[in-house]
Amino acid sequence: MNGMKQIIKKELNRVFTDKKLIVSLFILPAVLVVGMYFFIGKMQTAMIDDIENHISSVYIQNEPEGFRDIVEISGFSANIQYMNEKEDVTEIKNGILNGTTDLLVVFEDDFLNKVENYNAGGNIPDVKTFYNPSEEYSGTARNNFLTQVLGIYQQQLLIERFGDLSQLTAFTIDAGPEESEIVDNEKATGKIAGTLLPYFITLMLFSGAMSLGVDAITGEKERGTMASMLLTPLKRKEIVLGKLFSLSILSSLSAAIYAIAMIISIPALLKNLTGGDQEGFNLSFTPVQMIELLAIMLSLVFLYVSIVSLAAVLARTAKEAATFVSPLMIIVMLAGMITMFTGNGVRQLITYAIPVYGSAISIQDLLVGELSLAKFGLTIGGTIAVALILVALIVRAFNSEKVMFNA
Amino acid sequence: MIEIKNLTKVYKLSKKQMQERKTKNNFKKAADSVSLSANKGELYGLLGPNGAGKTTILRCVATLLQPTEGEITVCGFDTVKEPENVRKSIAFLTNEIKLDPQFSPKFMFHFFGKLHGMDDSTINKRREMLFGYFGINDFQDKKINELSTGMKQKASIAVSLVHDPEVIIFDEPTNGLDIVTARSVTDYLKKMKEEGKLVIVSTHIMSEAEKLCDRIGIIISGQKVAEGTLPELLTQTGTNDLEDAFFELYKEHNVEEA
Repeated sequence: MNGMKQIIKKELNRVFTDKKLIVSLFILPAVLVVGMYFFIGKMQTAMIDDIENHISSVYIQNEPEGFRDIVEISGFSANIQYMNEKEDVTEIKNGILNGTTDLLVVFEDDFLNKVENYNAGGNIPDVKTFYNPSEEYSGTARNNFLTQVLGIYQQQLLIERFGDLSQLTAFTIDAGPEESEIVDNEKATGKIAGTLLPYFITLMLFSGAMSLGVDAITGEKERGTMASMLLTPLKRKEIVLGKLFSLSILSSLSAAIYAIAMIISIPALLKNLTGGDQEGFNLSFTPVQMIELLAIMLSLVFLYVSIVSLAAVLARTAKEAATFVSPLMIIVMLAGMITMFTGNGVRQLITYAIPVYGSAISIQDLLVGELSLAKFGLTIGGTIAVALILVALIVRAFNSEKVMFNA
Repeated sequence: MIEIKNLTKVYKLSKKQMQERKTKNNFKKAADSVSLSANKGELYGLLGPNGAGKTTILRCVATLLQPTEGEITVCGFDTVKEPENVRKSIAFLTNEIKLDPQFSPKFMFHFFGKLHGMDDSTINKRREMLFGYFGINDFQDKKINELSTGMKQKASIAVSLVHDPEVIIFDEPTNGLDIVTARSVTDYLKKMKEEGKLVIVSTHIMSEAEKLCDRIGIIISGQKVAEGTLPELLTQTGTNDLEDAFFELYKEHNVEEA
């Protein structure tokens, strides 16, 4: 196994003595992830601020008596223009379509009279709002107008009609919502994390393995440097394992850097969105859970490295290898994504042995504290078994002169 | 030292390769019942045109390819049954086998020494000796992709000899080298022979074969058509120099593929 050790040493050396590789493999992804989340957060905050600061342009036609006072008291801030019933609204509607005007509110003729003289079963007077749902300003202006102005106005008219509005409420539901939520905060956080994390972990590990594996195997074949290694007294198996282990180490490292970058940047993203309110987002692991997560991830890395390496060894050129690996990546992404949509329903135990999918649901279970030893064992066993079959196939490919020398 | 018995190597051709070669045969016989033996202290040359099968024969000896028929032993080890032992006793150098361009000659020398199971002090002694002989010391820490063709070839030769092998197989070792570098390589091969090693070279350069080789095997269309010392080959063909002898044999044996 000395040969294997030497190959691992050389492969690590190859990466860590090359500044460009260090930057492209480890530094750039981390900077990009942090930068991306920071940027998304900033953009979202900026968008929200922009909408909040925008002064809406609102037209109100045929407003009932006293309505102007209601608007004034409500605190609804907008540039409001009142119109009488005879004025043409076509241009205003065009403005709404083009995004230059935000809202048009039209009251029925004789609105107040109709409200006051309402008899059961009669026609209910209508207030029409015209807005553009595809324009953020217009949608927000309408929402604010409904809640701040029309809602209050309606209540006021109802009070005039009935006196005490409580008469209209037969019973309340959850008058104190805090008491009715019986929830384990940690599990709830785990559930949120469980929908996203398996997908990200899967994807990060695979992308690391992909970029490195193709160069370390197809690249070496293309450059003719692999043959020089095949001429040493090492058994092919030792060369293959040396390559796979070094790739696993590098991919894990690359994934770890991604993960750290995400852990650093997600709270920043949430902070931007919620204005500093992050209560309830507390994800913590027990030592056993940490070891389990690490074992699942390491076995997954080894599987991915084996998948990529098999494709890389069968390919004649790096370009060909990339075309082999891309569809595999889509399959892996899909398997990771399944956990986003399937929830935590009861699953058959044997499904945990399905490579990739099994790891994804195991990570999901682990985050809510429901990963049993049997599930964990099946996940690791299934992943390693498939990885070993792939390793055997790679060794076979290394022994094939057709594959290695195109002979 | 090296014993080749009835070596036949057949390549299967893909449809694309058949089209490229304009042939209807889905196979190509790159070596056809080749037998030869070479011994310690000998410099044996395989002479033949490009594509004659010289590299295929040498690759079979180096265990990179397996014979379709026949058998090869190197220092008593069968190339199919004990390939690791064969690789321990040979150095194999060809144009298509290269050193990792990202590393320095010094790193590569140490790396391959380790893969051959050598300890650090032996590797260092061998390095001082070989790097000194080929004048590699000046650029031993430079990355291989920064070196000139001649420097790269010198580094490749030194690295291939790290484990002081009994058998040295060089496929067209002076290809692409300037006259000075080429001379230092051929001089070293002679030195190896004098030290009792078996050196096998393949070449299509007549003058090189004439000056260098004790015995020459002429390969045409995958077959060994003649073998012997230079005077023997000249007598056999009734010619005055190797080039004329080669063309006599070429006219006689070259068969165009159907």
